[in-house]
Amino acid sequence: MSDATANGIAATAAERKPRRDIGIGRRYAAERRFKAYGIIAIAIGLAFLVMLLTSIISKGYTAFWQTEIKVPITFTEKVLGTPEQAVKSQTKLLMANYPQLARDGLVQLLGISADDKKAVSAANGLISSGTRVTLRDMVMNDLSIIGTTEDVWLYASSELDSAMKGQYDLSVPENRRPISDLQLEYIDKLKSQGAIEERFNWGLFTFGASSRAETAGLGVAIIGSFYMMLIVLALALPIGVAASIYLEEFAPKNKFTDLIEVNINNLAAVPSIVFGLLGLAVFINWFGLPRSAPLVGGLVLTLMTLPTIIIATRAALRAVPPSIRWAALGLGASRTQTIFHHVLPLAAPGILTGTIIGLAQALGETAPLLLIGMVAFVADYPATPMEPATALPVQIYMWANEAERAFVERTSGAIIILLAFLAIMNLTAIFLRRRFERRW
Amino acid sequence: MMENIQATLNRGPAVQAAKPIKMKTKDVTVHYGAKQALNGVTLNIPENQVTALIGPSGCGKSTYLRCLNRMNDTIDIAKVGGEILLDGEDVYDPDIDVVELRARVGMVFQKPNPFPKSIFDNVAYGPKIHGLARSKQELDEIVHTSLRRAGLYKEVHDRLDEPGTGLSGGQQQRLCIARAIAVSPEVILMDEPCSALDPIATATVEELIDELRENYTIVIVTHSMQQAARVSQLTAMFHLGDLAEVGPTEKMFSNPDDKRTQDYITGRFG
Amino acid sequence: MSTFTIILVVLAIGLAGAFLGYRHSRALQAPAGVKPHSRPVYHASYVASWAIIPSLLLLAVWLIASPIVIESQVRGSFPEGVLAESQLTEDLAYGIVESLGNGLSVLPDDERATVTDEMPVKDLAALLRNRGLPVASASADWMVPLALDIDTMQFWSRLAMTVVVIALALAGAYWGYRQIAPRLRARNKVEGVVKGALIAASSIAIMTTIGIVFSMLFETIDFFSRISPAEFFFGTVWEPRFSAAGSTGNAGSFGFIPLLAGTLYISAVAMLIAVPIGLFAAIYMAEYADNRTRSVVKPLLEVLAGIPTIVYGFFALVTVGPFLRDLSAQISGIVTGDYASFIQAQSVLTAGLVMAIMLIPFVSSLSDDIITSVPQSLRDGSLGLGATRSETVKRVILPAALPGIVSALLLTASRAIGETMIVVLAAGVAANLTINPFDAMTTITVKIVAQLTGDLEFNSPQTLVAFALGMTLFVITLCLNVYALYIVRKYKEQYE
Repeated sequence: MSDATANGIAATAAERKPRRDIGIGRRYAAERRFKAYGIIAIAIGLAFLVMLLTSIISKGYTAFWQTEIKVPITFTEKVLGTPEQAVKSQTKLLMANYPQLARDGLVQLLGISADDKKAVSAANGLISSGTRVTLRDMVMNDLSIIGTTEDVWLYASSELDSAMKGQYDLSVPENRRPISDLQLEYIDKLKSQGAIEERFNWGLFTFGASSRAETAGLGVAIIGSFYMMLIVLALALPIGVAASIYLEEFAPKNKFTDLIEVNINNLAAVPSIVFGLLGLAVFINWFGLPRSAPLVGGLVLTLMTLPTIIIATRAALRAVPPSIRWAALGLGASRTQTIFHHVLPLAAPGILTGTIIGLAQALGETAPLLLIGMVAFVADYPATPMEPATALPVQIYMWANEAERAFVERTSGAIIILLAFLAIMNLTAIFLRRRFERRW
Repeated sequence: MMENIQATLNRGPAVQAAKPIKMKTKDVTVHYGAKQALNGVTLNIPENQVTALIGPSGCGKSTYLRCLNRMNDTIDIAKVGGEILLDGEDVYDPDIDVVELRARVGMVFQKPNPFPKSIFDNVAYGPKIHGLARSKQELDEIVHTSLRRAGLYKEVHDRLDEPGTGLSGGQQQRLCIARAIAVSPEVILMDEPCSALDPIATATVEELIDELRENYTIVIVTHSMQQAARVSQLTAMFHLGDLAEVGPTEKMFSNPDDKRTQDYITGRFG
Repeated sequence: MSTFTIILVVLAIGLAGAFLGYRHSRALQAPAGVKPHSRPVYHASYVASWAIIPSLLLLAVWLIASPIVIESQVRGSFPEGVLAESQLTEDLAYGIVESLGNGLSVLPDDERATVTDEMPVKDLAALLRNRGLPVASASADWMVPLALDIDTMQFWSRLAMTVVVIALALAGAYWGYRQIAPRLRARNKVEGVVKGALIAASSIAIMTTIGIVFSMLFETIDFFSRISPAEFFFGTVWEPRFSAAGSTGNAGSFGFIPLLAGTLYISAVAMLIAVPIGLFAAIYMAEYADNRTRSVVKPLLEVLAGIPTIVYGFFALVTVGPFLRDLSAQISGIVTGDYASFIQAQSVLTAGLVMAIMLIPFVSSLSDDIITSVPQSLRDGSLGLGATRSETVKRVILPAALPGIVSALLLTASRAIGETMIVVLAAGVAANLTINPFDAMTTITVKIVAQLTGDLEFNSPQTLVAFALGMTLFVITLCLNVYALYIVRKYKEQYE
């Protein structure tokens, strides 16, 4: 053919003995550089992860402890009225000046004169104003307490709490920090009496909204998020599985099926805030469902989670080999029977994993919930999903907007809790996948 | 079956005088994880000849071939032992550079795998990365010559900038051969190069292999005994990871020594 | 009966029907000779389907239609004076009448009896307030009879609905039960129902899209009837003023350009950081890393993707923003001696940087998928010619994967543009038009949140603009997504 034109590139081995220069050194340098870029990129990514988590955890782990002061409280009739009066009308008990009880107790504990206005107000600044509720509940639960004296652990104010946790720079002049020298003196005194302690902060998990950091908690938010997750699970799982079964097992290849597919893939990438607008316009304005309700939040999150579940379920269905279907069909099972008796059970672990991951996504979603009014100051637990509530990520957003120092700690603490929930869900999903994964 | 092969042999190239040895392999073993795929193969590959590796599937012939230019390096779990010498140098010597080695020992794969680039760029790829051409003219020259040597030039000379993936299967495989030639390797390894091709394309490629022998040392793995008989001068028969027998092709097909070879070429297994 | 109770009753009827159907069908099996087509469980499901599906459909239609019918009836009898007023006032009036009407049903019977057409509205309002129901101050005496009408109509409508729905359920169950016969193809019919349900479930995706488009479309059209599209799309000043309800004063400027600029600027900064990092990480993972490394690093990077964006926002707000601000103060201190920070805590850079962290795993896992779907034979071909790994990546794999990577980047861009929580906390709310990345800028999503949180007053340009913004955002991301999905589909087909 073309042997006659043989030239340099077809030289024999003998002539080629002095090895060709193919720039090995230079090329390997490029190779090393390229590889280094990859390693650097991964290192940067992981460094960001470490920085993010360190920042959150270092700011937030203290939120799980709360400074409390043991104060001897005298439940005096002078303030509360007699038990007999209380039985007749609770109004006096409800409106009584509980903070005064706390202040008097603390003043007595510290041994300051009740006339020293400055000293009394400094001491008063150490206790949270949330004591009102604590003491009121004590008295309301047990009227016989009136007239007695009892040691009660009271929440310290957020300033004292921050000071105890070393979050203030005490070397700056007194007027530039939120806690005075006198108060520091009192703290030392309380410490020496063993009357001040950092205890585990259950309130962070149980309290509702509050404008004071030390009595603000995630109780309402956790319940709200829980309701929403239930709704998402109850709606998105069956609808998602049904839709996947149709698309994977029944749908003919036509324009309509194509349209659904494009739709699902697109919905998975639509900005979450758009779903918030949908929820506001359709569920609240059109259907007239209540604002701030977990029900609406759950519906919006369901629509957002559906694509995730559908995509995961379809992958799980596709992974079931066709031979299983043929076997069942060959025995005379109908298509529906084949799917529900054989294919679906085999795909269940994959579906479950996808569902958990979808739920985890929904749990962390914030933007759409802002628009349907879940940014609300809700102090009481919602009894049903129709009552106002907040959600974990929304609570984080609201706290992040608070200027007070103590709220930064609370916010970080709340983020740790949210991340812990997400970690548990994702680890469950990984565990399920490892445990039940079947290779065909 | 036998007559068929005999007939093929009669038409095939005559066995030539002994050639110098290009590659020497001694006790080559390959493990894939815990599984041993080759149990010590010792084989000499003569220069400017076609050496065919035959044997039933799973016998280790492709594994052996991939050792010769260290393509097994790309498989994490593969471990290669023994000695493989190219012109007296151990190719698994840490001082030997794998890139340089592969530039000297090229490879053509079972399934045609043109890059999703133009025909020209496919062939020019090797010379470009190795810096073999100093100018555009030189590169053109190399590409055209390689295509000509691969017998593809006439079919594609007017559409060099069309994608290589648009060619027919046989053309794609010849493009891959041209791509390998363009690097001017000393040895070309071919892993069942015709298995994905139709008979007419196969015939063209076989013809090409025979012509290439003049300038290159060729090692070809093939499933087809007729093909081995048609194109090779030396045949090595593999069986279950062992080298069962090796000898001049003519002798292997007319008068094999090994029982397994006899069984295989008479079609008892395969 | 409440809707919930009605549904329970219907379900109970269905269940009872199923039970009877099952027994009937079992009894049918007895006569020899004819083999029944379907097993008893299908007959039971058949009866239940007849009982439940038509009645619940009717219930749904009734629930939607009834308020519409009542509203049109009541509005028809509004006094002429009200009808002459603007649509807005009429809507407002209807809202009050409706809440009065709804309030009536809460009153105990003895108080309810005292309410007559002649009762002044302030007395009714007092009654309702005692029950904890506030009444708008704009209420008028003519509303009382209409409220009574609403209450009556609602009462009868509900009663009729209860009766008709339950009757239909019973009739359905009876009809289904009568149909049971050995040759009834109950299984096929039940499977038909199942398939219908499956189709309905998959069309929810379409319904959602339609819902999104229409919910925003109407409000957007309403908005553009007050503010001209040209003013919105080409205006360079964003300054919506909150004005009192109904006042016709200046509604402020609704210039979209500063928001769009901020959105694109922040997304661009984020992409500029995230794309090289994500891409190189993906390449390393797909082409260099051994299995052990990959099994550790990949999940770790994916943790970044699993972190909610609100957490990134907080990180930007309390850590990254202040850090950049202090850093810039130090730098300017060293350079000029004046410790003035030139990076603001809320800035394009802060938002872009933090958004980039969020996008890294997104870019890397999408690209990883794309790169690993490039066939191994191409790698072998290149390596077999003596190319190094990096040459193979740069000259063969990336060109082959290019369409896929482009689509991954488009999806990433769409994600960046629609991101909300990071920018809400990190970018600031000032609608600046600047090219200084150290300044604060704001985005479309920030403004949607800002316009719709807090006390809402519907039907004012200030809130309607959020829907116009949302619509624009939806259209932008829709184009990016659909184009990206189209490319990736073509790409996957090529290698299948």
